[in-house]
Amino acid sequence: MSDSQHVTTRRAFIGTLGFGGVALYGAWAAYGAAPLPFFHSRAFEKDNGITPHQPQAGEGPGGGHGAAGSMTPDDFLRRHEEFMARFRQPDGSVAVGSAEAPPAHATQLPVAGHDMHAMPPPHVDQGGHGTAQRDAGGTAPMHTPSHGSAPAHSQEAQPTDLYLLAYRFGFAPDDIRINSGQPYRFRMMASDITHGASLQLGRGSRIIRLRPNVVVEQTIVFHRPGPVLVYCTTYCGPAHDAMKARILVA
Amino acid sequence: MNMKTHSPASMSFTNRLAALSRTDRLLCGLLIGFALLALTLGIAYGVAMALARSGALSFLPDTPYRILTLHGTTAFFYWLYSAQAALLIVLAVGETKNGIALRSIAWIGAILIAAGFMLSELSALVGTPLLYDANPELGLDDPAVVAGMAGGYLLLAAGLTAISVSGIATILRGARTRADGFSALGFGLFALAGFLIVSAVAAVNAFLPNLLWALGYTPFPKNATTEWHILFHNLHYLPLMATVLVWYALARGLTGTGSITGASFSKIVFASYLVFVPPTSLYHMFLEPNLPEGMRVAGSLLSLFVSVPTLTAFLIIVASLEAHARANGATGLFGWMRRLPWANPAIANMVVAMLTMLIGLVFAFVLIQEKLAPLLSDTIFVPGYFHFFAVGTISQTFLAAMMVMLPAISGRPLWRPAILSRMPWIVLAGLLVFGASGIAAGFLGVPRRVVDISYDGAAPAIWPVLMALLGAGGVLFATGLAVSVYGVARSLIPARMPMTATAEPDAGWRVVGAPTAPAWTGLVAVVVLVVAMYAATIGAFEFMQALPADVSGTTGH
Amino acid sequence: MKQETLLLIGVAIVWFVLAAVYAFAPSLGMPGYARVWGAGAVVFLILAAVLGTIKRPT
Repeated sequence: MSDSQHVTTRRAFIGTLGFGGVALYGAWAAYGAAPLPFFHSRAFEKDNGITPHQPQAGEGPGGGHGAAGSMTPDDFLRRHEEFMARFRQPDGSVAVGSAEAPPAHATQLPVAGHDMHAMPPPHVDQGGHGTAQRDAGGTAPMHTPSHGSAPAHSQEAQPTDLYLLAYRFGFAPDDIRINSGQPYRFRMMASDITHGASLQLGRGSRIIRLRPNVVVEQTIVFHRPGPVLVYCTTYCGPAHDAMKARILVA
Repeated sequence: MNMKTHSPASMSFTNRLAALSRTDRLLCGLLIGFALLALTLGIAYGVAMALARSGALSFLPDTPYRILTLHGTTAFFYWLYSAQAALLIVLAVGETKNGIALRSIAWIGAILIAAGFMLSELSALVGTPLLYDANPELGLDDPAVVAGMAGGYLLLAAGLTAISVSGIATILRGARTRADGFSALGFGLFALAGFLIVSAVAAVNAFLPNLLWALGYTPFPKNATTEWHILFHNLHYLPLMATVLVWYALARGLTGTGSITGASFSKIVFASYLVFVPPTSLYHMFLEPNLPEGMRVAGSLLSLFVSVPTLTAFLIIVASLEAHARANGATGLFGWMRRLPWANPAIANMVVAMLTMLIGLVFAFVLIQEKLAPLLSDTIFVPGYFHFFAVGTISQTFLAAMMVMLPAISGRPLWRPAILSRMPWIVLAGLLVFGASGIAAGFLGVPRRVVDISYDGAAPAIWPVLMALLGAGGVLFATGLAVSVYGVARSLIPARMPMTATAEPDAGWRVVGAPTAPAWTGLVAVVVLVVAMYAATIGAFEFMQALPADVSGTTGH
Repeated sequence: MKQETLLLIGVAIVWFVLAAVYAFAPSLGMPGYARVWGAGAVVFLILAAVLGTIKRPT
C-alpha cells in the first residue's frame, strides 16, 4: 500500500466504512429498541406496548422451567380445562368478558390441588368485562396504548386470563369472543409438537411460536372490533394449512 | 472499450487449471458437475413451489411440503455445499503448481457427499416431509425418514470434512513453495476450509442425536431446535465467505487487479469472518419463547456486526477495481464500471451479485432487531429477502466462478457468452418481483410455510394476489438461473480441441503499481445502504406500532 | 506465516471465550453452543499450529 493513495482507498477508511451497518443502532435507539449508554428511551415500549419481560418470582433467566412460581404443563392443562368448562357457550364458542359471558356475579371455580397464590383462575366482573387477578409474583405489563380509540379503563384494568391450546391440527378453543380495549393475558401452549398461534390483525400479524409444553404468555389489548384469524405459522404436518381459530373482538 | 491486455494473474490461474493432470481435472469436473446437478434439481423444486404458492399448480395436501423439503435440502445443503467443496478445491489448485494434494481423500469426500445426497433425496421423496432442517418432531411417527435425512446430512458433513482436509493440504503445498507464503486468497481458502470442518462438527452436534433417536438408541432429542440453530448460523456465513473469496479471485483473474489495501489487510478481513460468527448467532432464535430477554437484547446488538466482514471485503474489491480504472482514465461516478470486461458473463454475475447483496442486507437488518421478530419471523418476508442472498449473491457468484473454471478445465469455451451475460439481469428482475411481493406479504402476515393460505376465506384478500406475484417472480429468476446453469454445464464436456486458456477478456486497464486515484463507489454504496436500512427499519417499527393491538410479554415457562 | 498464525490464534481465542460463556453460564441453557464453539476453537488452534510448522523456501 502506498502513502500517496487517495483517502477513499486507504485501509482505515475502508475498514471503518465496513462497519456501516452498525449505524442502524441509531434507529433502534430512537425507537427504544436498543439501550442507550446514558439515556434510556422507552418510546417504542410506550407506543407499542412491548415491554421487556420481567422474570417472575422464582423464574430463572432461561425462562424458569420447573422453577417455583412458574406454570407447569400440567398446571396449564388443568387451567385450560377449567377455562373451557367455565366460558364455553351453547354455540361452541368461548366468550370471555363479552355479552355472552357467564353471569357477572359468577364465582371462582374450585380447583383441586391448585396453588392459588401462584395462579388464580380468571373471574368476571360485575359489568360483564372480564378481569383477572394478578399473579402474586407476576408481571404487570406496562400498557400505554397509542390508539386513541382504546377505552381509558383498559390502561388500569387487570388482564383477563385466556387459555389457548395448540395441537395437531387445531386450537382449543377455536372460536373466542372477547371485548376490544380490554387486556387479555393469553396463556398458550402446544401440547404435542411445535406450532404457531399467530394473530392476523388486519394489516399485519403478530407471530407467535409455541414449543411443546412451554407456556407462553402475551398480554394483548385489541383495539378494533372484528374477527381476528389465529393461524399456525410453524409447519406441523398434513393438515397444517387448516389449523386455525377465530377471535371475535366485540 | 476493452484494452485487451493479458494480465499475468489471469494467465496463471486458468493455465494452472488447464495444466492439471487428467485425474485432477476429472475430480474438479465431477465436483462442479455434481453441484450443478443439485442446483438444477433445486431450481426445479423451487419452480414447483413457486407455482404452488401462487395457486397456479395444485397438489395433494402433503406434496407441496415434500417439494419444499426437497427444495431446501437440495438447494441449500447440496448445491451450496458441494459448490463450496468444488470451489475450494479448484481455487486451492490455482494456488499451487502441483495439483490436488491428498487426492484420494478428496475422492472419498466426493463419494460421501454423493451418498449423502442420494440418502437425503430418497428420504425426502418417500418419507414424511420434515422440511430441510429434518425436524425430528415431524417424524415422530416416521423415525426412518428422520434417520435418512440426518444420515444424509452426516454423510455430507463427513464428505465436506474430507474435501476440506484435501483443500488445506493443497493450499499448504502451494504456500510451501511460495517465497511470500500465503496469498490473501490462499489464507482465505485455508480459513474457509477450517470453517467447513467446524460446521461439520456443528452438523454432527445437530443431527447425530436425531439419528441415534431414530435408530432407537437414545431418547428423543429435546434440544434439536437449538442445535439446529447453531449449525444454521454457520450455514449462513460459510457461503458468504466463499462468495467474497470468489470475488477476490474473479477480480484478480479477470482484470488482473489485486487488493488495493494489500494482502495483509485482506487476510485480517477473512479472519474477521470467523471472529464475527459466534457472537452474531442469536438472532435466529428471537421467536423462541425460552430465550431470555437479556439475550434477545444482546443478540440484537451483536447482530449489528453481522455484515462487517462481507461489507469490508466488498469495499476492498470495489475500491481496487475503481481506483485502477480511474488511474487509467475512467471518469464519472460510476463510469469506471464501463471498463469492466462485460463481455465475460462472469462479470455480469459478479456485479449483480454485489447489487443483490446490498438489497438483501437492507432487509436482513430489519430481521435482526428482536422487537421486530414477532412481526416478520416465520412469515414469507424471510424467503422474500434471503433469496436475494441465496440466489442473487451466492448462487450467481458460484456460477460466475464456474464460468471461468470449467472452460479452463475442460477446454470447451463457454456457451454463448452474450446470452449468459444477460441472464443475471433477468435473475435480478425476477428477484425484485419475488422479493418485493414476499417482503410486502410478510409485513401483511403471510406465513412462509403454509401453502394454502385461504383459511376458508378468513385471510385478507390481498394475500393470494401477492402470492401470485411472488410465483411469477420466482419463475422469472429461476428461468434466468437455469439458462446460466445450462451454459456452464455445457463446458463440463471435455473438448476434442482444447481452447487456449487465455481466451477470456481482460479489463480496460493495466495494473501497474498502486494507483492514487480515488474510489467513491464504495462510500456511495454504504451511504445508500445505511439510508435504505434506516427507511426499512423505521418503516417496520411504524408499521408494527400501527397494528390495532398492543402486545406485551414473550414469556416461556 | 506469522500473521496468519496469529490471526488463527485470535480466532480460536474468540471461539474459546464464547464457548466458555455458554459452558459456565448454565442459565443460558444452550450447552450445544459450548460444544460447537469449543470444538471450533480447537480446530483453529490446530490449523494455527500447522501453519507454525511450515518452513518457507529461502
